[in-house]
Amino acid sequence: MDNDIGLIAHLMRRAGFGANREQIGMHANAGYQNTVEALLNPGEEDRMDDHLIRRFHPELSGMMGPNAPGQNWLYRMATTSAPLREKMALFWHGIFATGYAKVIHGKALSDQTRMFRTFGMGSFKDLLIQLSKDPAMIIWLDNQDNHNGAINENFGRELLELFTMGVGNYTERDIKECARAFTGWTIANREYMELRSQRDSDWPYGRIAWHFKYHPEDHDDGEKEFLGQRGRFNGEDIIHIICQQEATARFISRHLYSFFVSDEPPIPEWRYTPPTNPEAIDELTRVYFDSSYDISAMLRALFNSSYFQSQDSWYSKVKSPVELVAGVLRLTGEFNRPRREIIDRYFQASYMGQFLNNPPSVEGWHQGTDWLDTGTLVERVNFASQQIGDSTKPGIQAMIERIASTPNNVASPENLISVCLEEMGVISVEEDTMRVLIDFASQGHDQPINASNDGSQKISAALQMVASTKEFQRS
Amino acid sequence: MGIETTKTNACLLEYRLTMGMTVMEGQGFYYPVDTTIAADGRMYVISRSRDEVARGVRVTMCNVDGEYFGNFGGFGEEDGQFVWPCCSAIDSLGRFYVTDEKLHRISVFDRSGKFLDRWGEHGSANGELDTPSGIAFDSHDNLYVADTYNNRIQKFTNNGRFLMTFSGHGEEIMSLPWGLATDRHDNLYVADWGNDCIRKFSSDGIELAHFGTSGKNDGEFCRPSSVSVDRDGDIYVADWGNERVQILNSAGEFVEKLRGQATISSWAQNFLNINVEEASARDKADLNLQIEYVDDTPHEESSHIEKYFWSPTSVTLDKNGLLYVTEANRHRIQVYARRDR
Repeated sequence: MDNDIGLIAHLMRRAGFGANREQIGMHANAGYQNTVEALLNPGEEDRMDDHLIRRFHPELSGMMGPNAPGQNWLYRMATTSAPLREKMALFWHGIFATGYAKVIHGKALSDQTRMFRTFGMGSFKDLLIQLSKDPAMIIWLDNQDNHNGAINENFGRELLELFTMGVGNYTERDIKECARAFTGWTIANREYMELRSQRDSDWPYGRIAWHFKYHPEDHDDGEKEFLGQRGRFNGEDIIHIICQQEATARFISRHLYSFFVSDEPPIPEWRYTPPTNPEAIDELTRVYFDSSYDISAMLRALFNSSYFQSQDSWYSKVKSPVELVAGVLRLTGEFNRPRREIIDRYFQASYMGQFLNNPPSVEGWHQGTDWLDTGTLVERVNFASQQIGDSTKPGIQAMIERIASTPNNVASPENLISVCLEEMGVISVEEDTMRVLIDFASQGHDQPINASNDGSQKISAALQMVASTKEFQRS
Repeated sequence: MGIETTKTNACLLEYRLTMGMTVMEGQGFYYPVDTTIAADGRMYVISRSRDEVARGVRVTMCNVDGEYFGNFGGFGEEDGQFVWPCCSAIDSLGRFYVTDEKLHRISVFDRSGKFLDRWGEHGSANGELDTPSGIAFDSHDNLYVADTYNNRIQKFTNNGRFLMTFSGHGEEIMSLPWGLATDRHDNLYVADWGNDCIRKFSSDGIELAHFGTSGKNDGEFCRPSSVSVDRDGDIYVADWGNERVQILNSAGEFVEKLRGQATISSWAQNFLNINVEEASARDKADLNLQIEYVDDTPHEESSHIEKYFWSPTSVTLDKNGLLYVTEANRHRIQVYARRDR
């Protein structure tokens, strides 16, 4: 079980962006539990160097516009040796959804993602404190307009409704008291920075990075009553109280379950619809409190659970567009150096419905089959098959060479499909999918295959067909 | 914390002025990556732009007094167009050469920006190029090109005929070289970007010296992008990853460093004169806030402190010895003068 490559492949699809056969084999040699630990504690990260990216893409350094943070992030997802860290950043981006449309500052959004990387797998309390001080979040939810004696409730409301507890677990008064506690939490040079943001002004010399500023004179230091507790609470006190709530623990547990195990209904329905697996939520809630709100401890419990490992869970989730694109790029190895094509890949994810750093609303993106409609499905299949079918890409070349040198790869169409499915990530497919693949591979299957003749084209075509399957579109 | 600002009032170089401002098209720069100055003082500034903003790609002609003479070039793969324009040089006839890292070619223009010629093929054989960046002429109009992803320098005639290639010798293979410069003895200086050093070669490719090592102390470099040498042999280095400029003497010894002290350029002042609300808010802002940085790097510091160099990709000297520092991320050029000349 611990060395089951199918299970390791499932783990890498969910906790990362997938892996090829060679990488899965290395993880399998280490064992499942060790692989989980390596994902949770990746150590020094190997990835595309920031200097290299900045050298060839100045905008990914200066980050004035809406697309730079997402491209930068895609480079990271496509090349990192610490994929769970990026996956968790993506998870938090989906919950604490912040968008360029209002922030109008690429670096501020990229800085928020960096904060998710730094704090996203540690204490939930620390993460919430950082989130409350995050300049992009402050502007996104108007906390710069939240003043002593003239509160703006936006941040306080979303902190409780969308970020931590969910509707039904607090009162309107709690929202107001929460907002009072965050008065004076703003960004430095607020007037100038806000004006530039509103005007989309990068004049005269590009964007100036934002940072958090606390104005004690604008903070309401009076007594507050919040979730049944009384005191002269500030923002950090409020977050401490929020983290103590069972509703918070269950809310985050359900989010983790939905993201990593099986889709839950959209958040507005959570109040009325119980979790599909209440025992799993109970268990994650217990770990949340036992570990003092440690997200890594919750992830460890989740990945080592029977409900996560069960084959019933495999391929039950639709990959988000960004997961699909990042996974394909990791297979193709296209970005072994900075290339202008990163912007095309980034936009391709947006055509499929996920525009990084530009979520449709404060609720983020709806997951699951909501990713699929006639248009996006065509985009997804075309993208995957075109990229995987491009044998000039180094990752594809390497796969073709490995398949061509696999003994008996040409013994039958079944063998060819079998090695292609293995090579592209130990993918298991349903019977009807397998039948279609074998029918395809059977056409013209009358000559030996090796990398030096047009057999490589046949392998390439088979890889392309695998990329078009429904299983490849799922995780 | 990042790197200290040099107090220039006690130093060799004196800040003079800032040129340019962020403009997607027309009078201004948009991620400028190199500046070359003709004998008559005409400046050619390459704007690389953002990858999704085709109209930002261009060469702007202006002078140090802020006179604007127009643009040429543009995005595309046709003659006279660029995709990833990088560096430039001018030959003895006043012709202007631009490298293109994406199209792996060199384009040639006359003084007014009229397209004349282009050459270059993608590859790794002699005379072929993979991502050409730095470019420099010697006094005989031989052209050196930093052939970045082939990790070598190639030498051509000014019409593109291959002469020789070299990459140094010793322990370190050249790594992703970027900026090039020649001195009055026709020695070549290479910003060996990946090795954090400056290498000096004779005109026949013999390595003569090697300056600097990785780091952020005086005389150390982080990904140097550009080099320029004055008539006395003093060496000016865009220490790009450290967001500063360093000056070395002809023996390669550290002399001085600059962190940047930009002020409002004449073009920027015009903008602020028109946009009074923004000018007023700017006046009230403290743009020199010293804070604790989440990511304690010069890059992060420069993103917050506007006057500091941010992505100083190019250092260029004019015939009067003025030093021009082109900053991609701040879309401007800071100009410095020697106090001792």
